[in-house]
Amino acid sequence: MAQADQVGVIGKGIVIRGNLTGGGNLVIEGRVEGQIALKNHLTIENTGRVQADIRADELTINGEASGNIDASSRVAISASAKVAGDIKAPRVVIEDGAVFNGSIEMDVKLPEDI
Amino acid sequence: MAAKDLVTSGNTVIGPSILINGKLTGDEDLTVRGRVEGELSLTKTLIVEPSGVVKANVTVKNAVVSGVVVGNIQATESVELTQEGRMVGDIRAPRVIIIDGASFRGRVDMGELPPGRSLPERTTPRAQLRPTVRSLPAPPPRPAAAAARPGNTGATVPARKPGGMPGIVRAETARPAPPAPPAPPVVAAGAKKKVVLKKKK
Amino acid sequence: MANTVIGSSIVIDGEISGDEDLVIQGTVKGKISLRESLFVEGSGVVEADIETQNVEIAGRVTGNIQATDKVELKADCRVVGDVKAPRILIADGASFKGNVDMDVKER
Repeated sequence: MAQADQVGVIGKGIVIRGNLTGGGNLVIEGRVEGQIALKNHLTIENTGRVQADIRADELTINGEASGNIDASSRVAISASAKVAGDIKAPRVVIEDGAVFNGSIEMDVKLPEDI
Repeated sequence: MAAKDLVTSGNTVIGPSILINGKLTGDEDLTVRGRVEGELSLTKTLIVEPSGVVKANVTVKNAVVSGVVVGNIQATESVELTQEGRMVGDIRAPRVIIIDGASFRGRVDMGELPPGRSLPERTTPRAQLRPTVRSLPAPPPRPAAAAARPGNTGATVPARKPGGMPGIVRAETARPAPPAPPAPPVVAAGAKKKVVLKKKK
Repeated sequence: MANTVIGSSIVIDGEISGDEDLVIQGTVKGKISLRESLFVEGSGVVEADIETQNVEIAGRVTGNIQATDKVELKADCRVVGDVKAPRILIADGASFKGNVDMDVKER
């Protein structure tokens, strides 16, 4: 939360090809192709189109994303999102209406006798 | 006697102490508070309550999982993992909902894919509707996850509790969870072989 | 606690075991072992060996029945199989084929 006020925005008209790394929070309204590694919260807005492997602490997807996702705390795929790829995170939320294809890997605690 | 008073037709309930091992089919809603192993197909809704354990390949219209499912679920309408739901296996359904707090390991196939990525066995490719992302090739698959998948049957090996009543499984007693197995097994193989899972009588 | 009901459209092929009352309105093939009461209702069809404490049958049962307390064959039931229990009631109108064993002490 220390850096919560540092929010970078990649606006609607912007296209980024390549690697994107950083420590603050980031909102993507435009396009990113390549790789994203972020220490904090990444939000892909409805207009955002991301084709990238993503590493972040927390990821909120309202737009489109394809690529593998590795989040250290949480991934939220909202109703307007379209996502393809493999997700690895301790918490994953998929809202009704979202489109997702791929695998999800969370830590599943099963009963002993399963 | 009380049992018969409670009966309302069209609503099947598997109570918390009940274990069904085999194949279950039906045209009505099914609520599982106990345990079902083997194969389960319904034309209506499956509800797995928090005490319920389903270790089976499941074919339904809707599924709401608040308990444990190990196996694949194919639903013609929707699959919802609630806050308490835990599942290892693959989901194929047009609508998949995962509530915060649920835990899941496996594949999700909603049958609508952007082009440029190939996921196996999709049934209803509606990819043409979505021309937005097409220029780049698909990102490489996650090699570790892919390699760990086949052959790992850790979660399907029946670990019998020594003190248990033979033939009777109480889901509640099994609550304290062990460390999760390292990777999702190919659940289909284990879950549909009821011979492997059969309890002694 | 009687809260397990196998509804009329349900077909189970396999084993059912448990620790509570069970009401069968559908079809069960295989084996049933309970420590409480089993009710096979009029629409119920059971092709299974049954081990239970009590059983009340108004539907159809094919298989051997062993109860630690009581077996009750109600009117209009159809039962084919051997019945073993300390108490056995067969109602007028019940149809039954098989042996009855009430475990009478012989001397």
